[in-house]
Amino acid sequence: MNPVLAADITLPHINYGAIAPILILLGMACVGVLAEAFLPRTLRYPVQVLVSLVAQVAGLATIIGLALSNYAKKPTLTAGDALAVDGPGLFLQGAVLVLGIVATLLIAERSVERGGAFVAQAAVTAGSEADAEQARRQPSQTEIFPLSLFALGGMMLFVSANDLLTMFVALEVFSLPLYLMCALARRRRLLSQEAAVKYFLLGAFSSAFFVYGIAMLYGFAGSVKFHDIAVAAISSGKSDLLMFIGLAMLAIGLLFKAAAVPFHVWTPDVYQGAPTPVTALMASCTKVAAFGGILRIFYVAFLDSRWDWRPVIGVIAVLTMVIGAILAVTQTDIKRLLAYSSIANAGYVLTGVLAMQKDGISSSLFYLVTYGFTVLAAFGLVTLVRDQDGEATHLSRWAGLGRKAPVLAGVFTFLMLSFAGIPLTSGFTGKFAVFSAALGGGQTTLVIFGVLSSVLLAFPYLRVVVLMYLQEPAADAPTVAVPGALTSAALAIGAIVTLLLGVWPSVLLDVANSAAQFVG
Amino acid sequence: MTPTYYLVLSAALFCVGAVGVLIRRNAIVVFMSVELMLNAGNLALVTFARINGSLDGQIMAFFVMVVAAAEVVVGLAIIMSIFRTRRSASVDDSNLLKY
Amino acid sequence: MTHVLAHPLAGQVLALASPGAMGTGEKVAFWVLGIIALGCAIAMVAARNAMHSALFLVVTMFCLGIFYIIQAGPFIGMAQIIVYTGAIMMLFLFVLMLVGRDVSDSLIETLRGQRTAGILVGLGLAGLLGGGIARALGSIDAKGLEQANATHGGNVPGLAALMFTRYVFAFEVTSALLITAAVGAMILAHVQRNGEKKTQKEQSRERFAEGNHPAPKAGPGVFAHSNSVATPAILPDGTRSARSISPLVEPRELTAEDTRPKDTLTGGGNQ
Repeated sequence: MNPVLAADITLPHINYGAIAPILILLGMACVGVLAEAFLPRTLRYPVQVLVSLVAQVAGLATIIGLALSNYAKKPTLTAGDALAVDGPGLFLQGAVLVLGIVATLLIAERSVERGGAFVAQAAVTAGSEADAEQARRQPSQTEIFPLSLFALGGMMLFVSANDLLTMFVALEVFSLPLYLMCALARRRRLLSQEAAVKYFLLGAFSSAFFVYGIAMLYGFAGSVKFHDIAVAAISSGKSDLLMFIGLAMLAIGLLFKAAAVPFHVWTPDVYQGAPTPVTALMASCTKVAAFGGILRIFYVAFLDSRWDWRPVIGVIAVLTMVIGAILAVTQTDIKRLLAYSSIANAGYVLTGVLAMQKDGISSSLFYLVTYGFTVLAAFGLVTLVRDQDGEATHLSRWAGLGRKAPVLAGVFTFLMLSFAGIPLTSGFTGKFAVFSAALGGGQTTLVIFGVLSSVLLAFPYLRVVVLMYLQEPAADAPTVAVPGALTSAALAIGAIVTLLLGVWPSVLLDVANSAAQFVG
Repeated sequence: MTPTYYLVLSAALFCVGAVGVLIRRNAIVVFMSVELMLNAGNLALVTFARINGSLDGQIMAFFVMVVAAAEVVVGLAIIMSIFRTRRSASVDDSNLLKY
Repeated sequence: MTHVLAHPLAGQVLALASPGAMGTGEKVAFWVLGIIALGCAIAMVAARNAMHSALFLVVTMFCLGIFYIIQAGPFIGMAQIIVYTGAIMMLFLFVLMLVGRDVSDSLIETLRGQRTAGILVGLGLAGLLGGGIARALGSIDAKGLEQANATHGGNVPGLAALMFTRYVFAFEVTSALLITAAVGAMILAHVQRNGEKKTQKEQSRERFAEGNHPAPKAGPGVFAHSNSVATPAILPDGTRSARSISPLVEPRELTAEDTRPKDTLTGGGNQ
């Protein structure tokens, strides 16, 4: 070893306290992997559920502690400026974890489907005799828990990364477990594997664009830190063209994860094919993470060049809202309907983001949380309507559910009303927040399209409600499973938060407002 | 001649990869095209490292390689599992999922 | 490895790379290898056989590795050759051999005009990207890496210094990626055996146990009018044997069309 070398390298200061939430999640994921290796089969499920929930609750407690100890007011950079611990970062990390806990409850449920929603051994060829046998008898694969912890840890890292390289690594850390989790459904395994292949290939395609964007911005600014890019945008000697090529490529990678319209084609297929608890995780947490990254890049690195790129992203937002709503009208499968609705909702968040001022940040943060809870509860209810082939997701099968299962139909109707933006639900307060922020930011056109799109989107939601209450149930109508304790808890949390944030939005909006300051 | 030529070459390779993703139907070939796009990104990073006179670009190319290696393991495992199910690796065979 | 790269080899390699403009040697290398790399990339996309595609991609990646070495990145160039061409592409070849090397595309386009549209999009993107980059940079002078490589006494120490200072957290987090990849490959590939494997003695006892049929199962029916695996065999007593067909196959009754004489002897076609 070169003696000179050892002398002139000093490890940058790492504020372990400030990044503890991420470390807890990734560390506990490793504990989960070890538990998988060393524990007897019968013990694995309770231990994994415990590890998973303890990790997330501990992470959440740490985040609250950090927020109370004024990290939100006095943000810091740590680990060689690779990570930013600031208000939006902590809020988004907390949002990922709160939604992650509810999604974990859905993932851990084992009484609705005997043995859980996941395949017992993914390596057994789908459709073989051994596969039919394991589908009947064996309980789910428990690796799903450490994988989901890795995904959540990666998302938390993604929303607080302060340079493009860390962001890229975090993007992959949360994407790879999601690709795997998509392939692990217990029923309809071929559909699930196809969803995983599709998600994987398109995801890898989009991260190639992300890498090329990083290369262009590095060429432009000579560094990949957001702050340096922001400085270079004002004072670089190089042509701006390089920066715009880089920004466009980067935006493709990010908007893919957020499912905005030209890059949304994977969403319905993947949402339909993936096991429903994983779909719930993707619709809530991945969306939070993707928009966290978009917010940080737009507000920290490209704030000063916003006049040049805002119209382009505005067009994407309009397309996302309108096309998502139009295609939702034509759907006949409840999971695909929710997928297109999640696309349209990505457009609403993008509208809030494009306000490009402080309440644009806070309203987007607020909207992400409200939407996350509602969509988790909606997918949780989808897992309950079953026939002998598993979940009955075709809309015609939902006819007459209002009579067979009044409670389920009532809760689902409430969630649909929230999606449609009826007052006294969180859907209304969220849309109100993002649209008024966008108006304040001078984005009137976007708001007009947003309101039109939400009116249009109310049709498919109300159609489901009408179907449930006004139609006769078919003779072979699916049964409604009695939710186990975990699913009941998840549904209750989702529905109560939807109501609470609709009636009393200031609880969360105030937190979001006080957190809405990025560190540069 | 300046190192800009390398960048134009990398742009060409990136686009060849993108075309491969768009027109090929075999999942493994599509994945190889994605790898070509990542390589084009790496060439751009290394060339910019030389233009900017800093080693950061080379480090980033190294990270991209690590990520690509992990991605290949996961991707090929998923493609293998679906292939075992249907004994074919064509993307268009994914007929169950329609628009 | 550090010593090799830090001293003689790195010295020679770095001498190849001139700081700003490209020297004559580098120009020759660029045009020769660049044309090979681009040609092989196009061939990779165009080749009908997936195996050929993989081999063309190996050549392209090898050329890029040499470019990295020429551009004062001996470590990254070697890593490119070892990791990409040596490990990643070999994994591709391995999987291609596993799934059958004759897996190739059908010539039928499922979406009409998709190929043309894809190529047009690609050409447009290439024009935009290449033109944009060339216009943005023009004949920019490269600063060169002499100084950066010399700061810590070589390319490898310089990279190490960056990796363990500015990028240390990203470096640590890549371990999460590697664990995920290993766990994922295990989940999708490893089949657990349930219970102990039976010994030959036990298997033999089981075969001759009461109520079991010791002889091999009858094969599915092979008759003049049908040799489908879905046709059950007919036992000597005239009954159909359910044991002769796989439980995954639906046994089917033969239709009139199936039992119709096919005129195989006279060579008559379907009238």
